Amino acid sequence: MRISDYIEQSFSNLCKKKLRTILTTSGVMIGIGALVSMFSFGKGVQKNVTDRFKEVELFNYVTVFPRSEEIQTEQSSQKSETESKATRQVSVLDDDFIRDVTKIKGVEAVFPEVRFPALIRFKKKDNFSLVQVLPADICQSGLMKLRAGVSFASDEENSLIISDFLLHRMKVKDIRGIIGQEIEVSTLTLDFGLFDPAKVTSLMQGDSAPRGAGNDRLPFSSQSYTFTIVGVAERMGFFGPMPLRSDVVIPPGAAQRMKKLSLTSIWDFFQSPEQAKGYPSVSIKLSSAKYIEPVKAKMEDLGLKTFALIDHLEELKTGFIFMDMFLFALGMIAITVASLGIINTMVMSILERYREIGIMKAVGASDRDVKKIFFFESGVIGFLGGVFGLALGWVVSMVINQVANYFLAKQAVPYVDYFSFPWWLCLGAVIFPILISLVAGIYPASRAAKVDPVVALRHD
Amino acid sequence: MNSASFVETEDLTRVYSSGQIEVVALEDVNMSVKEGKFLGVTGPSGSGKSTLMNLLGGLDTPTSGRIKVEGKFISELNKEELALYRRYQVGMIFQSFNIISSYSALENVAFPLLFAGVGKKERRQRASQMLTKVGLYPRKDHRPPELSAGEQQRVAIARALINQPKILLADEPTGNLDSTTSRNIVQILADLNKNQGLTVIMISHEESLVRRFADEIIHLCDGKIVEQEQTGEDK
Repeated sequence: MRISDYIEQSFSNLCKKKLRTILTTSGVMIGIGALVSMFSFGKGVQKNVTDRFKEVELFNYVTVFPRSEEIQTEQSSQKSETESKATRQVSVLDDDFIRDVTKIKGVEAVFPEVRFPALIRFKKKDNFSLVQVLPADICQSGLMKLRAGVSFASDEENSLIISDFLLHRMKVKDIRGIIGQEIEVSTLTLDFGLFDPAKVTSLMQGDSAPRGAGNDRLPFSSQSYTFTIVGVAERMGFFGPMPLRSDVVIPPGAAQRMKKLSLTSIWDFFQSPEQAKGYPSVSIKLSSAKYIEPVKAKMEDLGLKTFALIDHLEELKTGFIFMDMFLFALGMIAITVASLGIINTMVMSILERYREIGIMKAVGASDRDVKKIFFFESGVIGFLGGVFGLALGWVVSMVINQVANYFLAKQAVPYVDYFSFPWWLCLGAVIFPILISLVAGIYPASRAAKVDPVVALRHD
Repeated sequence: MNSASFVETEDLTRVYSSGQIEVVALEDVNMSVKEGKFLGVTGPSGSGKSTLMNLLGGLDTPTSGRIKVEGKFISELNKEELALYRRYQVGMIFQSFNIISSYSALENVAFPLLFAGVGKKERRQRASQMLTKVGLYPRKDHRPPELSAGEQQRVAIARALINQPKILLADEPTGNLDSTTSRNIVQILADLNKNQGLTVIMISHEESLVRRFADEIIHLCDGKIVEQEQTGEDK
């Protein structure tokens, strides 16, 4: 019997019992649809994360931090004196350190984390935010993904890049329309004119004086500066150097001209005088990921802590594998139920076509022919379930994607494809149910092949 | 065994077992048919006629004894070889026609060619020719429920002959037909026997009908041959 005949016979036989075929195929279709949707979501998330990281070359970054005092003390006691003398230990990340790091092979750019709190005012709307200082060349290197406008042309200009997230919070919708407009940044400065040591001490120790009883303000005042918005950047969630997580970015020249207190949290008050001198962290951009390890080793030799996202890529991948496995397990439940449906349908089909099987054998069909006929029918159910399941999964994914983007757009999140359909997923969505159906068809097909033609021909 | 015989059995025995109970359907049957002859098999119900037909048709295997067809012991063939024997060497028709009700007459006739690996176009062509031979071509697209009993049996005959077998086994082919139609059907078998040299073995409880067309008659009773006779002139 020819393969084309097996396929034609299968379709023809399945068409004779349309409702049952539709119901059984629907079981497979729903299972595959669920599996495709879940897998495409998993792959979509992975693709979005890794693509975004690659796009801004985050895998080429190393961030260094000074070690805390306790750790340094502990380590220094463990190290021998000769070791301590061999390598210079860096405890403060200052401009000298940045200059030294710039000279290391493979280092493309080095920039410190300089942030200060400020009140951002745009069209009479206020918002508190931490302002990030970032050199123009780093900004231009593609680190920041701009949704509108351009990066700073120089470190000296009075320009500002604002995040889409902050604009959304300030209820500004036209992100292109705000380019070139002015925005006010108010910094916090010390004001000793208001300084009354007795009152401030009393306030800070919690001895509250009655409200309105004289001047009880802390010795701070604010200073306003006007900037021109040159760009709107896409804000990143959790990973990467600080600029990607900042809402307001200005160049260093402009920052230097501002009077400000660089306090980013209440904990800054508890910093030791020595620690307070340096930057909290420094980001190092490398020309290639191959320099990550040598640079990290060098920094660690200097007694600094390092963080490179590429080190966490494997952990990230393991996380994705677990996510895939979880989604696969969920999908497999649906597929298992569907395959039981196939077995049921095929066994029913054998009982109904018992006499037909006898006729097949009487006119010369071998056991193998009969087995293949039923095997192909199972396969065709799987094929149809796979094709329609893929279509269903795609449609469901598209609908969810549109709905999710519709709601996320309201929170200034740019349009993202949360579902990915790589070619192997599409191919697998068709081949996998065929294989499952063939496995489900083994028992019914063997049972059909074993039918005694003499008994079957007498069967009513 | 007689070397001149086309179909021959030797001490053919078939015992059916159902738990502890054994039923002897055929016991030490020895018979032979020469090529191109028409053999009639008669006997009362339960005498083993259908069992003999199933064994000769390769649908069943004997408990003991041998069956030789065209010089080959079919009782010693494996399942695959038996399928080939049924496909190419023997054609069978049954009392209840055993045609597939969801197929058209043409599809039913072409059905055995499917297992012979014949292409779709050739299958249709050959089935059409066969239906023309049995006078049913105009009804080729009709399904069995739309055909009369006689027409259904003619479809079964056309199907049995589609692979050009040398032996035609007919198991009570007139059992569900009226007397006129029965005569017509048996006449078709006799014509095939006479004109094409087809060896026909027909089971029938209608002895008069068998006596009219068969060259030789075997009478079975309780699984044994009780009488074997030649009818008329040796054709």
